[in-house]
Amino acid sequence: MAYRSSGIAVGSITLRNVAKQHSMPGGHSLRVLDDISFEAADRSFTSILGPSGCGKSTILNLIAGLDRQSSGQIAVDGNRIGFVFQQPRLLNWRTVAQNVILPLEQQKFDKNDLRSLAGKYLALVGLSGHEDYYPLQLSGGMQQRVAIARALAIDPDILLMDEPFSGLDEITARKLRQELLRIWQETGKTILFVTHSISESVFLSQQILIVSAKPARIFKRVAVDLPYPREYGDMRLFEIETQLTRDFLGMGQDA
Amino acid sequence: MTTLPRILSIVSLLLVWLLLSTIFPPTIVPGPVAVVKAMAENLASGKAFFHLYKTLLRVGFGLILTMILGIATGTLMGLSRKGELFLDSWVMVGLTVPAIVNSIICLLWFGLNDTAAIVAIGSAAFPAVSISIWQGIKGIDTQLVGMGQAFHLDRIAIVRKIIFPQLLPHILASMRYALGICWKICTTVELIGMSSGVGYQLNYWFGLFSMAQVFAWTLLFLLVMFAIEYLLFKPLEKRLTRWRTAVPALQWAQ
Repeated sequence: MAYRSSGIAVGSITLRNVAKQHSMPGGHSLRVLDDISFEAADRSFTSILGPSGCGKSTILNLIAGLDRQSSGQIAVDGNRIGFVFQQPRLLNWRTVAQNVILPLEQQKFDKNDLRSLAGKYLALVGLSGHEDYYPLQLSGGMQQRVAIARALAIDPDILLMDEPFSGLDEITARKLRQELLRIWQETGKTILFVTHSISESVFLSQQILIVSAKPARIFKRVAVDLPYPREYGDMRLFEIETQLTRDFLGMGQDA
Repeated sequence: MTTLPRILSIVSLLLVWLLLSTIFPPTIVPGPVAVVKAMAENLASGKAFFHLYKTLLRVGFGLILTMILGIATGTLMGLSRKGELFLDSWVMVGLTVPAIVNSIICLLWFGLNDTAAIVAIGSAAFPAVSISIWQGIKGIDTQLVGMGQAFHLDRIAIVRKIIFPQLLPHILASMRYALGICWKICTTVELIGMSSGVGYQLNYWFGLFSMAQVFAWTLLFLLVMFAIEYLLFKPLEKRLTRWRTAVPALQWAQ
């Protein structure tokens, strides 16, 4: 995949009837995704909400080009895609700054430029002055901040996030969610965020796609028309959350 | 505080030696003074340097051969199931056959020369490295490889920046271990088939029943090995694993 050197940030994702099945031994096939269609507009924040192990991550892998769909079309407008995983997936033998610039090293960058880029993105995630630390010297939340800085460092049009805060304690996760929204508004990325937490998806997104399990199918689309910045404890968020919880339980009975 | 236990350990070794030398006659356990004197004489005559050079040459090239064979077979076993099945019995044979058998066979095949010593060392010592590398490859974090793919790193970059650094501790550990094995095999080869080297000298002085000289040559080689360990391996390992030792929690656990 070629990275564009300049240009207007366009980052929209469109999926049309995307299905994915794995062929299993004995001629069976396991359906993972079934007829997934949705659109994420440029600079939008979309969450894919579903139970654990339902195939949500597969959607992200298909969009990132790490896996191929069995049928359907995926259109990604915007060349660069940043990825944040559930685990930070940092290289422990590299310093924080070296981790951030890892995806940039293949391009012809000056060493000093790389260094200042690392500093810029670490500042964006609130880790100024931590350039020369090693990942194992940082807390889990700080490691995940480094992972976010690494994804942002390639200046992606689209940011794919696979349950990035589910391994963190709730206080840290709350802080990072607020910062993610700040970064999103500052940088104007298109974010596609996978989660199994109803309250997290409501707090973060403009659009929520509720996905059922095995095979993953879009069960419901919900628009969250609330302005940012949002506050924890806002009654309007709570109402949407309650409604979603009901939907979620209803989905369980159908299955 | 890592230097004090080390110093204490060496001092205690010397004390035990001193104590034993006062109990037993010099023909059984010669004292440190007599041994160091014999070693100094060997060095002063220049003879020791020649034999030391020959042994280090054989051990050095033997170690290189060991690492090449070990890393190649270990990588094949780690990456391919077929390779694992194919090489498994080779490694088992290599581990089971006593090193002296390798020595005898190589001396008969190649004659009484350095090639025989190097091949004997390489063929006898590599299985230990194979196993270490094999385990290392099995333990590679594939999630990190997935991360590299997600960020479009090419294959070479993934191997160089993500896979190799994970194997490096295994390579280093197996190299230190292999060095010890190589030296032991080298002495055996020199003892049975060479007319130079530390092993030859040990055999020669064994024939003359000179315990002081046997001790002197052993001590000389020990000193050389200590120097390699503390001037080469330890600093290298420390440099390459800074990221791990920098963690306060891990220091506490040690």
